Amino acid sequence: MQAIKPKIAILGAGLLGRMLTVSLMNDFDITLYDKDDGDAQQSAGFLAAAMLAPLAESADCSIEIMQMGEQALSLWPEFLDNLEMNVYFQQTGSLMVAFEQDLAALKQFKSRLKGRAFQEMDSQQIHALEPELNTSFSKGLFLPNEAQLDNRQLLEALGSEIKKHDINKNNVVWQYNANVEVNEEVVLVNQKPLSDFDWVIDCRGVGLQKDLANSDSSKELLDGVSPFRAVRGEVIRVHAPEVNLTRPVRLMHPRYPIYIAPKENHNFVIGATQIESEDKRNPTVRSVLELLSACFSVHRGFAEAEVMSIDSGLRPAFLDNHPKIIQHKNRLTVNGLFRHGYLLAPVVVKACLEVINCNNNKLKPNTESISNLPGLVVNGNIYKKATAVNVEMVS
Amino acid sequence: MQKSEQNTPSVFNTETNQDKLSIYGTKLDSRLFVGSAMYPSPQIMKEAIKISGSQVVTLSISRQNPHEQGGHGFWSIIQSLGVHLLPNTAGCHSVKDAVNMAKMSRELFQTDWIKLELVGDDYNLQPDPIDLVKATEILLKDGFKVLPYCTDDLVIARHLVELGCEVLMPWGSPIGTGKGLMNPYALQAIRDRFPETTLIVDSGIGLPSHAIQAMEIGYDAILLNTAIAKANQPVLMANAFRKSIEAGREAYLSGPMAEQQSAQPSTPTIDSPFWHYSE
Repeated sequence: MQAIKPKIAILGAGLLGRMLTVSLMNDFDITLYDKDDGDAQQSAGFLAAAMLAPLAESADCSIEIMQMGEQALSLWPEFLDNLEMNVYFQQTGSLMVAFEQDLAALKQFKSRLKGRAFQEMDSQQIHALEPELNTSFSKGLFLPNEAQLDNRQLLEALGSEIKKHDINKNNVVWQYNANVEVNEEVVLVNQKPLSDFDWVIDCRGVGLQKDLANSDSSKELLDGVSPFRAVRGEVIRVHAPEVNLTRPVRLMHPRYPIYIAPKENHNFVIGATQIESEDKRNPTVRSVLELLSACFSVHRGFAEAEVMSIDSGLRPAFLDNHPKIIQHKNRLTVNGLFRHGYLLAPVVVKACLEVINCNNNKLKPNTESISNLPGLVVNGNIYKKATAVNVEMVS
Repeated sequence: MQKSEQNTPSVFNTETNQDKLSIYGTKLDSRLFVGSAMYPSPQIMKEAIKISGSQVVTLSISRQNPHEQGGHGFWSIIQSLGVHLLPNTAGCHSVKDAVNMAKMSRELFQTDWIKLELVGDDYNLQPDPIDLVKATEILLKDGFKVLPYCTDDLVIARHLVELGCEVLMPWGSPIGTGKGLMNPYALQAIRDRFPETTLIVDSGIGLPSHAIQAMEIGYDAILLNTAIAKANQPVLMANAFRKSIEAGREAYLSGPMAEQQSAQPSTPTIDSPFWHYSE
């Protein structure tokens, strides 16, 4: 007789929802609820450039994010190997450059890299690394360990993994176009309360906001930890057959650091603005000008590139821009990955698995513990190795 | 003899204790104004502002879709600090843009304070002095309390004061450069000529030593953002600026010694000969 598997509802099928589903579907019966129709187009992870660049990111984020990103980076290759579909993953480092007038920003950035692997480069070395780059860059920093992946391939690969599993094992339900609301004690899906689940994992990203607007109690629950907000970003995708850049290039600038991430087949992601606004409008002329003039200044070959898309989106963030896992009875809220979704997802997912496994006697822990994560708060405590064992149910 | 006075630590019993900064009549204890951009996170911004002791925080709204209150979430974080908001017109290139932005800010934040910033050059963000004077006139007539961000040009400063500005904010050096006081002579001239005007060095301050230099020559306050926000440890730097600005103010009030050409021993001994050395 087959043992009855515990049941988990996962709210939100963006990057986190999909990674959690894939990680849990062997041991649980899963129902995945999402407002999208399965292609993740409304999720923040659909727009992201998916650079796995903890050091490059540290120009604008806390040291804790950098440390967590380094751990997460080491987890990606194995995670991707276990997927059936191929996902473009490249680990050939990233290159930071600055025009003459902005070299101070590069110098400042260098001062944050103490003890990390990086190489200072002059114009010849830059040229050797990326022969097509604008030759006026006199100085650069090469960060050899940084990586990137193709976010849309990954979302698709995870989606197909989930669908295939459902066909074979029949224990995953993926409900599209679901309207999810989370009130004080109840999760409503299309206005019907959700019950009979051992766990509910809420990873709706910015979708969390509407609950906060509607409900005082859930606001209190989160306010106890940190206010939640959305931060606007704008990103452009171009197809540039004339451009051969082989690794992500970041342009230092005193006001807006801009990256150009080459994906397969001469596709490039250029991003991203970061504006403290919850504005959902399409990208502004100013932002588009900034992004496109930056990429044109890096490589003239972008002049004839085909603009594939110009998008804007909102990133979910807590006050400290760090991710959080918040448990309320059998509900976990996992959110706040900000601009670091792909950078941090593996460690956040692992920490979630630990919380669930350690609190559920029916399951043996099946994950190796990750080491301390200074920037991840689980139920108000900084994540430490095996913290999850001590997590008590919040009632 | 008044015993109680004698027992009080002298520093708290001097002029400094009643020493307040005046912004169009509003009295403030802190002489540090800080900006709200470029911090690693709002959390760090909050901590930095708190430790800086600042009572005035500037904010720029132009890119946040203010028409639909796009920045509401972020603004409420700043408002929760209980500080005076000083909205700015950063990014405005014309008199019309700046005036519109000022009016929108007044409506959004219920304040008639405006940091008037009119970009004259896109790369170093040097203020346009001519349009600045025009926009200042319009806004003052409309009831705004204008804090104009200007260069260190004495004549422009005079025009602004004549229009009725009670506060001027000349630059130390261009925004975000951290070069400190490029032209202390010009800043000193403005100080000397407008003793009644509240003078704030705005932009270009990179180090606490730059701030202290401006305070020592009698500037009333310092406005900065990048120097704190882009430090590797913004909270620590905010604390350093608080101390330097307090020190600079106290140094100014204390009446510093005059500079001397030759060495003067501070403890002359009975047997050391002096005057004949100069022969």
